[in-house]
Amino acid sequence: MEKIIIIRYCEIHLKGKNRGYFEKVFMINLERALAGIRHEIRRPSGRYVVENFDESRTEEIVSKLSKVFGVHTLSIGLKVKTDLDVIYNTVKQIAPQTGTFKVETNRADKTFPLNSMELNAEIGGRLLADYPALKVDVHNPQKVLYIDLRENGSTLIFSDMIKGAGGMPVGTAGKGTLLLSGGIDSPVAGYMIAKRGMQIEGLHFHSYPYTNMQAREKVEELARILAGYTGGMTLHIVSVTHIQEQIHKNCPAEMMVTLLRRFMMRIAEKISENTGSQCIITGESLGQVASQTIEGMTSSNAVIQNLPVLRPLVGFDKTEIIEIARKIGTFETSVLPYEDCCTVFLPKHPVIKPDLKKVEEAESKLDVEALILEALSGEEIVKL
Amino acid sequence: MIYLDNAATARPNGEAVKAALHFLEKDFYNPSAMYKEGFQIHREVESARKNILAKVADIAAFDFIFTSCGSESDNQVIFSCARRGNFVTTLGEHAAIFNSAADLKRRGVEVRFAKLKNDGSVDEENLLCLVDANTTLVSVIHVNNETGAINDIASIAKKVKTKNPSTVFHSDGVQAFGKIPFRMSAAIDFYSVSAHKIGGIRGIAGLVRSKKKNLFPLIYGGGQEGGLRGGTENVFAIKQFEYAAEQKFLNLEKDLKKVSSLNEIVRAGLDKNLFRILSSEQASPYILSISAPGLRGETLMHMINDQGVLVGTGSACSSRNRYSRVILACGVEERYAEGVLRISFSAENTEKEVTDAVKIINECAAKLSESLK
Repeated sequence: MEKIIIIRYCEIHLKGKNRGYFEKVFMINLERALAGIRHEIRRPSGRYVVENFDESRTEEIVSKLSKVFGVHTLSIGLKVKTDLDVIYNTVKQIAPQTGTFKVETNRADKTFPLNSMELNAEIGGRLLADYPALKVDVHNPQKVLYIDLRENGSTLIFSDMIKGAGGMPVGTAGKGTLLLSGGIDSPVAGYMIAKRGMQIEGLHFHSYPYTNMQAREKVEELARILAGYTGGMTLHIVSVTHIQEQIHKNCPAEMMVTLLRRFMMRIAEKISENTGSQCIITGESLGQVASQTIEGMTSSNAVIQNLPVLRPLVGFDKTEIIEIARKIGTFETSVLPYEDCCTVFLPKHPVIKPDLKKVEEAESKLDVEALILEALSGEEIVKL
Repeated sequence: MIYLDNAATARPNGEAVKAALHFLEKDFYNPSAMYKEGFQIHREVESARKNILAKVADIAAFDFIFTSCGSESDNQVIFSCARRGNFVTTLGEHAAIFNSAADLKRRGVEVRFAKLKNDGSVDEENLLCLVDANTTLVSVIHVNNETGAINDIASIAKKVKTKNPSTVFHSDGVQAFGKIPFRMSAAIDFYSVSAHKIGGIRGIAGLVRSKKKNLFPLIYGGGQEGGLRGGTENVFAIKQFEYAAEQKFLNLEKDLKKVSSLNEIVRAGLDKNLFRILSSEQASPYILSISAPGLRGETLMHMINDQGVLVGTGSACSSRNRYSRVILACGVEERYAEGVLRISFSAENTEKEVTDAVKIINECAAKLSESLK
């Protein structure tokens, strides 16, 4: 008797002619999630089965697989010889002794003497005889016992379904640059877009020496958590210290954040051009802070030449975002108290509804191109 | 690289490492083992215990327990001796005492904090007012780790005992041991010390205990350290600690003089328009706290770091603890408390190093101040 893990996928089956492509990418992502752990993944029709793995690491494998986008549900099951008595004894091990149940058989092996209905009845009957407190309920059972007779003389037996991450395999929907600040929102924004199949490259801005190395380490940790869902991630790290110093020296104090965001967007677009990203992703949520007003977004969008800016959290409340952050495991890291964007330069009263003309006028005091080139020349790249 | 963060940790004494290395590589036996080889190691541990203890105490009246760190020594005394009544300590304690006190509160023990004077030492009058018939433990740091302020613990302990003879008196001596001339007096019951501030390696420390006072283990185990601290002894670390302490105490007076002159160079050389010196003239010369009002200590530390000088900050640049509680407790205003740097010396530092460092510190502060204008 051998342990196996059954993986069922979600929307991939909807993709008509592209199905082969989606399944190939999905397989690569599953393999990548289990890199470094002994395992084999096979693909009988309509599902994936992990076999021959290190059983002492079952929980870890299930946890890693449940984070792969495209996974609908998972089940831990047992693989046994296709033999009625063996099958029954195995089912009995995982069956409840009280409550309601039903048996559901899938018979790919047409040589087995009982058809699926007959096998359901046979196994169910034996269980009822052994456990008198059990009842059959075919409509709304507390437990479903699945028997999967395969063509190669083996049978898979399993019961509980573990919910997977859902979504589409990462890599099937292009590539985007995620602005990753270190706060609660941006990792959630990245998660949501990656869930729809997009490959993500992270971009973090720091203000060393005004911010510290711990803040940077925190962002790397957030990117690493996200990478658990996206199958690795490249993080670009760019210093905006000199840009902030120049804004501070030459522009009105209340414009600091508005102008800084425009620089960040320009740098994000330049990096996207270099990496082949097709969009910029931010964690902005309408009205959450002074810079996230529609006027603020207009001001930062105005500097983007070609790419769309995706803001998956634009209509979310903070509590809703926190809920997802907790679920995906980024919350605890996000709330570590290191400052991400230097508060030394933050004005007491930032402009809330920046007027584009005034913003551009303030910015005209700066050599924008030179500052961007300088910032990009110090770009660091971390592969996670 | 100029290392001026010796109060955080000091470079291990290489000679002591070499001399002790055979306890790691060759004579590795468990000192509790009954065969000859083990017993021989047991004797080595006992000689280290006596030699280290003898540096600060009469070995007839005190004994010495090896622990893993100064924090463990502090914790053991607190959780052993302050189980009821009230615990009196100061606002100038190391986190090992301060955070243990917070846990004592949760356990239902009343905690009373004595105020600090402007020079960072404890307000003795205030401390004595807090001691009453229900005080089970008093803990007063010997040399504060942020300001270098020295408390006259012998005198304070005596006054505490006059008020309540049954009170236990402890002092955290981690920043004083091997640096400031000191001997245990009868009124001091416990004294925490650590190896890695004086050339020992990390992972080994100790607690001086008056033989008259009871103590309970924090870690229960196989009866090591007279039943007061379970766990197989780290003999290499213990012997390296012994050899490093030997050197340190041999040169204590000479080093103190040298470090005082280094400290003086920094005090005299810092730009008076940018810096205010927080440590008092009477503080331990090993520690010098300075503040650059309007500048953040951590930002300045990073800039100085980039120029090859390593100094400490009062506290990390985090939104939760922006200011050091100890610096604030000395009555320093918030705008001074934000820009704190801690420069801490060792006798290994040279005059040239310190002179160069002062120049770099002044330049970085001037540059940062200009950027923020």
